[in-house]
Amino acid sequence: MQTTEAIRPSITDEPRQNYLTNGYTIKSWLLTKDHKRIAIMYLISVSAFFMMGGLYAAAIRLELLTPASDLLESGTYNKVFTQHGILMIFFFLIPSIPAVLGNFLIPIMIGAKDLALPRINLLSLYVYWIGGGLVLFALMQGGVDTGWTFYAPYSTTFSNTYVMLVGLGIFVNGFSSILTGLNFIVTIHTMRAPGMTWFRLPLFVWAHYATSLVMILGTPVIAITVLLLALERAGGIGIFDPAIGGDPILFQHLFWFYSHPAVYIMILPGMGVISELISNFSRKKIFGYEFIAFSSIAIAVFGFLVWGHHMFVSGQSMYAGLVFSFLTMVVAVPSAIKMFNWAATLYKGSISFDTPMLYAIGFLGLFLIGGLTGLFLGAMGLTVHLTDTYFVVAHFHYVMVGGQVIAYLGGIHYWWPKMTGKMYSEFWGKISAMLVFIGFNLTFFPQFILGYIGMPRRYASYPEEMQVLNIFSTAGASVLGVGLVMPLIYLGKSLINGKPAGDNPWMLPGLEWRTQSPPPTENFDKMPVVTWEAYEFGEENGLDLEAARRRDREMASDFQKN
Amino acid sequence: MTTHAGEHNDHAHAPGLQHQFEDMKQQEESVSIGMWMFLVQEIMFFGGLFTAYLVFRSKYPMAFAVGSNHLNAFWGGLNTLVLIVSSLTMALTVYYAQKSNRNMQVILILLTMFFGTVFLGVKAIEYTDKWSHGTVPITGLNKVVREGHGDSHASKPIEFSIVPQAYAAATAAGGEEHAYVNPRGEFQWNDYDLIEKKVAEQKADPNAYILTTDERNGYFSHGELDRDKFRDKVRIFYWIYFVMTGLHALHMVVGLGLMTWLCWMAFRNTYSAEYYMPVEMSGLYWHFVDIVWIFLFPLLYLLGRHFIVGGH
Amino acid sequence: MMQSNQWIPLFPEQASSFAWQVDLLYAYLIVVSVVFSIPIVAAVFYFGIRYREVERYSTPDEMHGSMVLETVWSIIPFVVSMTIFLGGAIVFYNQFTPPADSMDVFVVGKQWMWKIQHESGQREINELHVPVGRNIKLTMTTEDVLHDFDVPAFRTKADVVPGRYTYLWFQPTKPGKYRLFCAEYCGLNHSGMGGWVYVMEQRDFDNWLSGNISGQTPVEAGKDLFENKLGCASCHAGGATQRGAKLEGIYNEEIKLVGGGTVIADDNYIRNSILNPASQVVEGFQPIMPTFKGQVTEEQLNSLVVYIKSLSPTAAGAASSSAPAAVANTMPASGNTNRSTNPQANANAAIRGTSNPNAPNSNR
Repeated sequence: MQTTEAIRPSITDEPRQNYLTNGYTIKSWLLTKDHKRIAIMYLISVSAFFMMGGLYAAAIRLELLTPASDLLESGTYNKVFTQHGILMIFFFLIPSIPAVLGNFLIPIMIGAKDLALPRINLLSLYVYWIGGGLVLFALMQGGVDTGWTFYAPYSTTFSNTYVMLVGLGIFVNGFSSILTGLNFIVTIHTMRAPGMTWFRLPLFVWAHYATSLVMILGTPVIAITVLLLALERAGGIGIFDPAIGGDPILFQHLFWFYSHPAVYIMILPGMGVISELISNFSRKKIFGYEFIAFSSIAIAVFGFLVWGHHMFVSGQSMYAGLVFSFLTMVVAVPSAIKMFNWAATLYKGSISFDTPMLYAIGFLGLFLIGGLTGLFLGAMGLTVHLTDTYFVVAHFHYVMVGGQVIAYLGGIHYWWPKMTGKMYSEFWGKISAMLVFIGFNLTFFPQFILGYIGMPRRYASYPEEMQVLNIFSTAGASVLGVGLVMPLIYLGKSLINGKPAGDNPWMLPGLEWRTQSPPPTENFDKMPVVTWEAYEFGEENGLDLEAARRRDREMASDFQKN
Repeated sequence: MTTHAGEHNDHAHAPGLQHQFEDMKQQEESVSIGMWMFLVQEIMFFGGLFTAYLVFRSKYPMAFAVGSNHLNAFWGGLNTLVLIVSSLTMALTVYYAQKSNRNMQVILILLTMFFGTVFLGVKAIEYTDKWSHGTVPITGLNKVVREGHGDSHASKPIEFSIVPQAYAAATAAGGEEHAYVNPRGEFQWNDYDLIEKKVAEQKADPNAYILTTDERNGYFSHGELDRDKFRDKVRIFYWIYFVMTGLHALHMVVGLGLMTWLCWMAFRNTYSAEYYMPVEMSGLYWHFVDIVWIFLFPLLYLLGRHFIVGGH
Repeated sequence: MMQSNQWIPLFPEQASSFAWQVDLLYAYLIVVSVVFSIPIVAAVFYFGIRYREVERYSTPDEMHGSMVLETVWSIIPFVVSMTIFLGGAIVFYNQFTPPADSMDVFVVGKQWMWKIQHESGQREINELHVPVGRNIKLTMTTEDVLHDFDVPAFRTKADVVPGRYTYLWFQPTKPGKYRLFCAEYCGLNHSGMGGWVYVMEQRDFDNWLSGNISGQTPVEAGKDLFENKLGCASCHAGGATQRGAKLEGIYNEEIKLVGGGTVIADDNYIRNSILNPASQVVEGFQPIMPTFKGQVTEEQLNSLVVYIKSLSPTAAGAASSSAPAAVANTMPASGNTNRSTNPQANANAAIRGTSNPNAPNSNR
């Protein structure tokens, strides 16, 4: 039974009040409590960091065109790959989907006016800026060369670079993550609209709930690890220094205890986006909704138990290794369950291949490879050969770029009409999605082979026989780079003269599509009462599909007339 | 979690109701979950330090026992008592807030702050004591004692011989951090009686489990007890002591700031039976800080007490 | 050597007794991956085409989940992943359980070279000679930061950790020359910290062990030691900003030393600089050169002296007057040079050489 009005697709000419028009001063943005404005500011910031990290990546690939360390000398190269990792991981991958899409959409998807703690949300943005600013300042002073993993004793005793300053930036930035996660947990618990039960929530929300658990529990550990690192460096304490009784492996345990769950912070929101995309562009409820929801939680929980799989050859005992390898295999299973469920959702759907769906399908292929190669690395005997080689580099880029970045781009394209009220060029969207997919595979698939033949990671120079594969990889990177820059252009252009998108351009049932594009500041003109299940696409759910078809026909004939 | 009745408050909002909430109940629930989540992450934050403590205590229990014996359990115990009483006054504050009793609230908050300050004062006494005895494990933060201390090598820093490059590098122009110098030389320690006794016992009965494997490697050079190496391990204990209690004291300072704000708000009669959540949440934070100390006290101050009391 | 008959190498050579196990596990994992990928990819392709939208906004029939399917595709991946775990565990056990009769070799990693010592006392730098068919166990540590001793052809590697010993073992099965890499990031010259493992027939190995160097002139032998075996080039052949004193054109010239004295750079000076470098440090340079006492035989010392003499045009009978070629991959970048203002510390360090008195059982 419906209690909301049937939603009509309407594109009016006069601009309506929305969150973007609600105040034009800088102060109204910088002191806003509106989660949507905070999300937009995050969007601009993470995009900037992504571009910076991308420039470093370009430098890496250019250097690796030739076996010798000729473009960049090794000291510089060491800084370049370190900074690529730090910027990408801490300032792009971890915040991107939660802070941009999560912030924007979660209150709307659950039918609330805002997040539970809007000022905490604003604080998390400020903290992100401060952390980012500190790291950028450190980079300008000369940067760091320890690798993003900061292993002791190199980082504590030997490195001559700005470790403490970058560490401080990461420490501060961690609180941005914690506050975001805290906010989401509270919001999802207490701010749901009447009728929005847990199992009516979009899977995007479930994914962010699981992610938030990891953010809250895991991030403080990296904070204390970085603090210990800084104290060791400044005060010569020695807990990581064997000459005076310390243990360098302790650093690795503390570091990876966070940094492994961190990768789940990165991928779980991406999986949430994919659930939305696959379901909505097949116009079918996701297959195995509860299984996907619980798998997200399972990944979050088990993700805390496998950190030692980064340390199989580091001097950890064989028995510890056995436990971690076993648990690594276990944590792979929920991801496999999700893959099968997504594929099954397509069965007997009504699939349209708009740009977001292209990204989602790309994700399926790339995350499949990335996830499976994770099994290669979880098998102890094999990982001995593959650890610290380009195989690992290829694996994590498949899951992080092929997984998370592609999901992020898919989400941005999907919700762009909602966030901005404008449609982008579908043609260029499709081109760039395909370029990203092709370029990505060309870049990183050769690296699996490079890894197996033995090319170690973090090498500025390498044996000549490995050059051919490196050239392929760099060639692919140029294609990938083009594909990643293109959205900046056509998305930016859509802001200037894009077609107005309408409230529900694809006639979808989610709560976010039942309000204006862009949404008003308080999200809904009238707060919804939910009486339908998640992902119900038919007309009985208030979607006036006939009117939408009529409108499409009118627009097509208008086009023909003019 | 239950959903909420969709009534909008047409009448004036309850005091302190934020705009994003439908009603006070939702706000209270949210704020409560939020504070608990914050405390959970604080536990994980301290957890890293407890892990480091666990690792090093398992490796070098004698060094930890000796270090702990030199901490003054009287001051530590006093602090524990002070904090427990302050938690009592804090809980009573919440009670009186619920009762809308402004005067009692203010008195009790001031008492809580008083006890918190006493705590910090005692810590200052302890830290100063460490400073004057040379047991602050960071170069430059001890009162350097010039006259000889027997075999403590107090006046001659021993350079860290493994890493000439690092030592050299650290003093290079352009590096932004201090030289990494093994400050072993400035950390002063003179009490080797207990460890020498234990070493003798271990040597008398090589199969007995008196020293751990790490200790058998870590305290000895060429088969004899190496005082410098033992002192290094005691230094690790003091470092953990300072970082853990220091971080705790920092949280205490934040707590005092919180109390100041709360006191002001209570004085202005902000809290009543309808709106007392900020008091309760501040109380949660204060109790958390208290509980962390309850763990810290025995783990740091009460190790190896049987060596002092029982004499063996 | 990589399989050089292939344009793009896919596999390193299998040169150890357990390498085939690792490759088999790899092949098994590839098969598993393909077997899992094919249905998913095929399904996505097929469903994408077969069920593409016919009418805009059409609503397909509702479909309820299937407990059977969910169970099946939970159990099967779990079982398969357990087989992978078991396979991995078995191979790992084989890789890290050295047989009792293993020949011991000691390895010390340091920035940025590998120092290796055989049981018999023979030392090597960046190279490891081993006999084919014997079990070799490496006992390893490091003097400074983490490194990793990695030989892809043997399919094994292990980190070296300061303050501890770590181990790896292998049995080489094929004579040849195999690459050695450092596989744990260790700073500036991490990429250059490589070398070779030479697997030889037992007879050749015995020969090598007793010190027979193949027929080279003394200058050639010295050049080989300078550029490859001893790593001298990493500090003395880097150009203007190198860390070591210039050696070209110094023979019989007057050299100014730290501390004010001067000395003539004759044969004795060169010899002394190799054996006791801290005793006469060239002005403007830091006393960071390690001593090679005990690491070079008399013959090798002579070859080095002859070679260094040959770098000066005034040396009689100089064979080569060109500066020693920079060896790719062993050249440190010119950034981040370390300058110390505390000569005492560095003198102490230099006198102790590069050995770490606190390292377990350091025996220099």
